[in-house]
Amino acid sequence: MKKLLLFLLLSSFLLLITACNFGDETSSEQDGDDGATETENDSSEEEGTSDESSGEKVINLVEESDIPTLDSSHAHDGIGFTVLNNVKEGLYRGDENHTPQLAMAEDHQVSEDGTVHTFTIRDAQWSNGDPVTAHDFEFAWKRTFEEVGHYNVMFETASVLNATDIINGDKSPDELGVEATDDKTLVVTLENANALFKQLLTFPTFLPQNQSYVEEMGEDYGTEAENVLYNGPFVLDSWSHDQEWTYKKNPDYWDASAVNLDQINVNVVKETSTAVNLWETEEVDRIELSSSYVDQYTDAEEFEVIELPDIVFMRFNHNLEQFQNANVRKAIDMAIDKEGLTNTILNDGSLPLNGLVPLNFSNSPDNHEDFREINGQFNEGTVEDAQALWEEGLSEIGSDGFNVALTVSDDENHQKAAEYIKNQLETNLDGLTVEINTVPFSARLEQEKAVDYEMVISTWGPDYSDPMTFIDMWVTDGPANRMDFSNEEYDELVQQARVETDAAARYELLLQAEQILMDEMHIAPLYQGAYSMLTRTFVKDVVHHPAAPEWDYKWADVE
Amino acid sequence: MMANQRKEITDDLFVHEPLEEGKAEELSESPTSFWREALGRLFKNKGAVMGLITIIVISVLAIAGPIMNSYHYDDQDILRSNLPPLIPGLEWMGLDGTNVDGVNIYEQQGVTDAPAWAGTDEFGRDLWTRVWKGTQISLLIALVAAFLDLMIGVIYGAASGFYGGKVDDIMQRIVEILIGIPNLILIILFILILEPGITSIILALVITGWVNMSRIVRGQILQLKGQEFVLASRALGSSNKQLLWKHLIPNVVGPIIVTLMFTIPTAIFFEAFLSFIGLGLQPPLASLGTLIEDGYQEMRYFAYKLIFPAIVISAIMISFNVLGDGLRDALDPKMRK
Amino acid sequence: MLRYILQRSGYMIVTLFIIVTITFFLMQLLPGTPFSNPDKLSERQLELMEEKYGLDKPVPVQYITYIGNLLQGDLGLSFQYEGRTVGSMIGERIGPSALIGGQAVVIGLLLGVVLGVISALKHNSFLDYGSVFIAVLGMSIPSFVFAALLQYYIGVRLEWLPAALWKDYSHSFLPSIALSVLVIATVARFIRTEMLEVLGQDYVNTARAKGIGEVVVILKHVLRNALIPVVTVLGPLAVSIMTGTLVVEKIFAVPGLGEQFTLSILVNDYSVIMGITLFYSALFIFIVFVVDILYGVLDPRIRITGGKNDG
Repeated sequence: MKKLLLFLLLSSFLLLITACNFGDETSSEQDGDDGATETENDSSEEEGTSDESSGEKVINLVEESDIPTLDSSHAHDGIGFTVLNNVKEGLYRGDENHTPQLAMAEDHQVSEDGTVHTFTIRDAQWSNGDPVTAHDFEFAWKRTFEEVGHYNVMFETASVLNATDIINGDKSPDELGVEATDDKTLVVTLENANALFKQLLTFPTFLPQNQSYVEEMGEDYGTEAENVLYNGPFVLDSWSHDQEWTYKKNPDYWDASAVNLDQINVNVVKETSTAVNLWETEEVDRIELSSSYVDQYTDAEEFEVIELPDIVFMRFNHNLEQFQNANVRKAIDMAIDKEGLTNTILNDGSLPLNGLVPLNFSNSPDNHEDFREINGQFNEGTVEDAQALWEEGLSEIGSDGFNVALTVSDDENHQKAAEYIKNQLETNLDGLTVEINTVPFSARLEQEKAVDYEMVISTWGPDYSDPMTFIDMWVTDGPANRMDFSNEEYDELVQQARVETDAAARYELLLQAEQILMDEMHIAPLYQGAYSMLTRTFVKDVVHHPAAPEWDYKWADVE
Repeated sequence: MMANQRKEITDDLFVHEPLEEGKAEELSESPTSFWREALGRLFKNKGAVMGLITIIVISVLAIAGPIMNSYHYDDQDILRSNLPPLIPGLEWMGLDGTNVDGVNIYEQQGVTDAPAWAGTDEFGRDLWTRVWKGTQISLLIALVAAFLDLMIGVIYGAASGFYGGKVDDIMQRIVEILIGIPNLILIILFILILEPGITSIILALVITGWVNMSRIVRGQILQLKGQEFVLASRALGSSNKQLLWKHLIPNVVGPIIVTLMFTIPTAIFFEAFLSFIGLGLQPPLASLGTLIEDGYQEMRYFAYKLIFPAIVISAIMISFNVLGDGLRDALDPKMRK
Repeated sequence: MLRYILQRSGYMIVTLFIIVTITFFLMQLLPGTPFSNPDKLSERQLELMEEKYGLDKPVPVQYITYIGNLLQGDLGLSFQYEGRTVGSMIGERIGPSALIGGQAVVIGLLLGVVLGVISALKHNSFLDYGSVFIAVLGMSIPSFVFAALLQYYIGVRLEWLPAALWKDYSHSFLPSIALSVLVIATVARFIRTEMLEVLGQDYVNTARAKGIGEVVVILKHVLRNALIPVVTVLGPLAVSIMTGTLVVEKIFAVPGLGEQFTLSILVNDYSVIMGITLFYSALFIFIVFVVDILYGVLDPRIRITGGKNDG
């Protein structure tokens, strides 16, 4: 009896181990094929060199969560976009300088009024050998509407004909302004000329899909590495959910000679401390640091800061009497020492922000000056200036001070910022008390959308590389407004900019719009984010785009 | 299951002998001498006495600590950001104001005002003050939660185990339902309905916290109620109430105390977990849990941020446990000579 | 006995049903939507998506649909990981969690019993205090700190074991050790207390008087009786450890269930919340049932099947 029990226990334990999806099982199979990964397991100390000696160029990366889906119609987050961008390719691909370059399209003709775009698809093939055709684009784009993908609004932003009507339910997805006239020719019709069109085509929602394959896969499409077809610089060789995935060079890629890496291993690591330990044991070649590790590595030669165009700012509830007063808003913004916040408290490369559009995000079309530098810094001043504004504002609203609730979500950096802001405001502005109200992210969003808060720390990241992605947030009743801000002149400027085809004139309109918003500090900008990264010195030419898709490994190399 | 086939001794086998007034008390000892005796045994136990002293010292510091220097727990000053601990006179212990690289930050930054005994955090807040303020809050949360767990858990578990049968069945199914519903959902709802803060944290802790206690007590009572002394006592005419409180519960004191000892760190760390997902204490208030949580992030470079709160919490835990063991020994009826 | 098992199984199904029902309705009260990246979704887009996934219907209708699917064994699809079935997600994740948890329970039980027995036999000696100290220290250092220390010293400094990730069997050691701390403390503390209690009882003295060796007395008579509260706590503890723990899985980058569960609640992934809740409660209820049966095995005097008056 006891022996039987013991036997049962042991066998169930063995069963358990085999059921554990250890990542090694899949990769050991591959070891038989090329024998290169084996050496890497033995001597993890000198990964870069050992890979070179066997002729394989391999880098090891980490991501902080799993790929949600490989279906480009449904993709909705940075990790998914990055993966899709490296394993598939659309009409355009952003180059090292983030400029869109022809990719799956080898030719692009535009009608005189800028509304009809004719693309010629180059000779390229899917990973199952099928050719990539114009029909793959038409199918994928329409399917995005049928499937109600998260990002089908990108078609609206791109002014593709009927996109708005389809979303509103007035027209069927079939009526989208895209048509494959033959296997090689794709015609896209726009409602009006759109300066952003090329830029937007690099976004993963515009990727092609092979119709017969997608229909064959049905619900399973995009759920496993084997359930997707690839036409990009890499193919996804394996994907163990929530654990790791591996890119391999795509030998059939049209521009395969430009691709240098043979393999990229990505491990899912959710804790920064864990990533740091894996960096120390040389198991990974590139990690992102949180601010608590920056002091430790700031002098290392592998350390670099990548500025992000993500902005963190405070919304004021414009329905409240005290926040309808410009001086009160300006005083609150000015009383915060933003440099102290970014340099001492956050300490992760974040930059203080005194405007809406972040630094190093957009250059003017003619003389290539930075948007932020043209419009300058808004509402800078000393604590005394802030106090003067505060006194003035208070007397205008006939109050001698008030208590304000500051809503913040459970992000570590935002909470730190809230603690700092509370102390700054209470110390610098007499009569102001701040109560921090921490809630889960989804609750913060719900409060924001219902404008049911007093002040809230919010974020916004760009959807595309153009100031419009920040500017059009604040139109009256816009979905990203969320503070009941309304200004007719502002709405008018945004509307003009949307249809303006002259790049310089359009840029001027955007600059003016920002001035309207910022002259009276309708929001209080705090900082723009940054990545503090550690990258092995032998890893070269990984491209980081300011807007999705974030990372491009096409040109990356190991030296 | 053969043992179960024997004839059960049931109530009707006994004739009820009316007890003279006062006789019952004669049979058991007077409560005062019991407590005095227990106290005597407790004080003879060196470990327990040490534990008690440590707890008293920590409690005093938790109240007095924050007012021992001139800093308030929310005094921010970025010029004093991340200062290592410095106690004049105790430099030889490593409390010399140097960081891991051996650089004296006080000299480097030109900080000349009062040194931070336990260092400062990135906001320049004094950690000595914050650690003791945090101890105050953590002790409060832990003790209140432990007390409520004890009350609810013991009564529920005892009733369930003692009455058995249908009552036990229903009471246990209710417990299973409570445990089955993910308590994170309950807690989020709680905190959205009530205000985030100490009250909602304690309530969140108590919703499911007492379940463990009740299960332990139930298991023990089930074991005890079949024993001879219970039958004997019942034969002597004890009522259910007397049986439960005079005979059963005292015999479960050991496991109760041990369970209670687990409630305290669970409460403290659960509170930290809640703060971590943004549902706990509202900053700038601190607790030992949140301080450890923050310190852990930076334990490589600013080890002192983790070490001080960790020492305090370990000291609290060890002393409570040693004291708990002593209490158990002192109260256990079987240990009496 | 058979009747009892059948009866309990009936209760189990009713209990599960109540848990599922309550969780379903509570979950709907959580703020937010199950869709990812809600920051960028417009109202209109949100309405379209809700319509597509049937979330625009009244909650009771959704509930009936859910129960209907559940009865056919369909747990639904995840919202966050589009297209993936909840069943396959649980299947993939439970393996690693159960392995590190199971090992932790075994390690914890062995070490815990040793520490507890030493403590009880050498009552109030330095060995006793030493064991209490070790057991309590493990408990008073939060698991994330302990896990991080283990990872740094054993994984990074000494390089004895892999620091993190999930590649082969050796990767399961450090997380198991980190998890076992709580089990060690629990087992050691309860064994000590109970053994002290049992050691003083008459039948132990009788056994000794009969000339039975001390080791046999300890193992057969004392330890066995001291196991009752350990079984009571360890059953549910094992369930919660083996179904995954957020902190340890995160720190050691183990693709387990615990992290997934917390995340699914924070992002309102309704079908995943329901699936894991169901899985966890079923397991828990079953273990509680086993524990109740074990009472009888460990101590024949305990009669769980009947009340005080029947039988």
